[in-house]
Amino acid sequence: MAEEALQQELVAAFPFLAGALRAPRARRVFAEVPAGKATEVITHLVTTAGFTILCTITGLDLGDTLAALYHLARENGVVLTLSVAVPKAKPVLKTITGFFPAADCYERELVDLLGFEIEGLAPGNRYPLPDGWPPGQFPLRKDWKQESLDPITDMTMEHRNG
Amino acid sequence: MGIVSRLVTWARIKSPWIVHFNTGACNACDIEIIAALTPHYDVERFGVLLKGTPRHADVLVCSGPVTRQIKNRLVRIYQQMAEPKFVLAVGTCSCSGGVFNGCYNVGGGIDTAIPVSIYIPGCPASPNAIIDGVVKLLKTLEPADDAAPEAATGTGS
Amino acid sequence: MADSCGVKIPIGPQHPALKEPESFLLTLNGETITDAGVRLGYNHRGIEKACEGRSYIQDIYLLERVCGICSHSHSTCFIQAVEEIAGLEIPKRGLYIRTLVAELERIHSHLLWLGVAGHEVGFDTLLMYTWRDREVVMDLLAALTGNRVNYAMNTVGGVRRDFTADQLQDVLKATDILEDRTKHYIGVATEEITFVQRLTGVGKLSHDDAIRLGAVGPTARASKVERDVRRDDPYAAYAELEFNVATSDTCDVYGRAVVRLVELMETYKMIRQLVRNMPDGPVAVKAPRKIPAGEALSRYEAPRGEDIHYVRANGTDKPERVKVRAPTLANVQVVSHMLKDGNLADMPIVIAAIDPCFSCTDRKISLRTAGSATAQPVTWEDLRLRGIAWHRARGIDCTRVNRRIAEGGRA
Repeated sequence: MAEEALQQELVAAFPFLAGALRAPRARRVFAEVPAGKATEVITHLVTTAGFTILCTITGLDLGDTLAALYHLARENGVVLTLSVAVPKAKPVLKTITGFFPAADCYERELVDLLGFEIEGLAPGNRYPLPDGWPPGQFPLRKDWKQESLDPITDMTMEHRNG
Repeated sequence: MGIVSRLVTWARIKSPWIVHFNTGACNACDIEIIAALTPHYDVERFGVLLKGTPRHADVLVCSGPVTRQIKNRLVRIYQQMAEPKFVLAVGTCSCSGGVFNGCYNVGGGIDTAIPVSIYIPGCPASPNAIIDGVVKLLKTLEPADDAAPEAATGTGS
Repeated sequence: MADSCGVKIPIGPQHPALKEPESFLLTLNGETITDAGVRLGYNHRGIEKACEGRSYIQDIYLLERVCGICSHSHSTCFIQAVEEIAGLEIPKRGLYIRTLVAELERIHSHLLWLGVAGHEVGFDTLLMYTWRDREVVMDLLAALTGNRVNYAMNTVGGVRRDFTADQLQDVLKATDILEDRTKHYIGVATEEITFVQRLTGVGKLSHDDAIRLGAVGPTARASKVERDVRRDDPYAAYAELEFNVATSDTCDVYGRAVVRLVELMETYKMIRQLVRNMPDGPVAVKAPRKIPAGEALSRYEAPRGEDIHYVRANGTDKPERVKVRAPTLANVQVVSHMLKDGNLADMPIVIAAIDPCFSCTDRKISLRTAGSATAQPVTWEDLRLRGIAWHRARGIDCTRVNRRIAEGGRA
């Protein structure tokens, strides 16, 4: 099956991935990749192994670490998810916009919503939070409380039902 | 009321001009609003015309739960409209925030930003419900004695 | 401000206090767009965070409302991931019904799009006729599911409603009507010269750029990128259906129209297969309230393209994480490329051709001349009307065809 073949392919290219892979169903492989090896692995996958599709990048708050999940796909429908964890105190990753210009949006989401730092990301508008969002507030972090934001509504009750 | 204001009211009932604004909605209500304008539902038979600019509109038709980034613009648009002006909140999100109530970037209904005249619930509000709301609004504009302006005697103003 | 055609561009009111950033900042050299800045995030509501605080069932209702056109797409894409984590095997009849609603949703979406495309280029009778015909599928969906939009068909483990034999016959009858109307629209799209001219050569996106920039759905398929999640990574009942993937090699807005029309014809074929081969049996399995720890990545071919949901479960009745990548987010990142070196007059139809959310048309647009520091705000409606006038001055005018159709009573 395609996902088993992919696992073998990955271990052959990167022996350190042995034991860090699993294929829960057809056409799906999940891999945990050490942060220091992420660029090397992604470069290989994109330039040599036919992963021409970046589905999206998911950010996770895992407590002491933040993780970025890069969901990459091949034309044959196999999706490989690379999970790259970095310390929450210094959550730095390198941009992959060199391979996938569309990663721009997904990486800015990691910055805005989880507080990642993406090295090499070109200067540009933030996404998706509005301008004026208070710094240091990362809504998708598990410890973020909505009460720390100013309420949007400042209409008094007398103005309702005018 | 005087003959001029009766004429204006008569004109407005005959042909209210509406401007439509989406405050962060999923678009389902927006599509139903436009569907209300298509032949199957044909709200234009009530003389309702969709206008591009708030300055010429009598009625602001809003969808959506008022996101943070859009709120100021919503208020500005309302302020640009000349009196008398009316606001239709279309869809459950506009009425109360709907499913998005409690989301961190959402205000929770049009009346958290501007006064609302008519609430039209539904997720989405169907074209029939929208037309019903528009007709109810028009009824509230009708002068109490229902006489046509030409018949006005001019007494009392 | 008058352009070279003598058409005045109405300037919108200036609001120094207005904090909303523009969504489109176009730099112009005369009538040519030399640079297009696209700013996203206007519709950010905070849905993913909200999902973590609600149960899986509540999240179905929330995610259905990410987009008011593809509601079943988001609902299904999400629930597939949840069901995979829970290790549930969904009964075949449930999968067939899910797929049937999915394809009916595609019909309403593509007909809606066709009308919008007509409106953007001044072909308003096309809007009126397609949206009238679209009511056939809207009425059908309302009769089958209880709502015109937001069908609430999915639950964890399958679907919430079964369809009777009579209802399935109604589906076939509606399909016959819609197929007949679609053939007619294919005729319009290929034979109405003004419509073809407005769409041809506009919004160019080469095959290589479509891949490099990550375009999805009909936008990509019109650049001969033969990708369709229903075939490449089958889900629901698609592995059992026979269908073709529609592509075009014109790499422009016209190709995007053709692909959607051909897709509709394929959808009608699929619907007939689904009804003919509808299996008997239950439509759902019992599902646990708490979903065991795990994760899944689900993909779905929504009418606009590939929709992606990632779900992470933690053993409770609420998800640990839900990530949504809607197809429009992929395609809107290609828009600035498609606008560059094109005419300002074509901006509305180029953007409409990726089939974005309507709320794009409410967003602030600013125009500036290359080298100038100041930008003028305009509205979408200004640009739409300007585009129609610009093309009219060059002999491409939908007024006559609108009049002919309105008088003849047929579109």
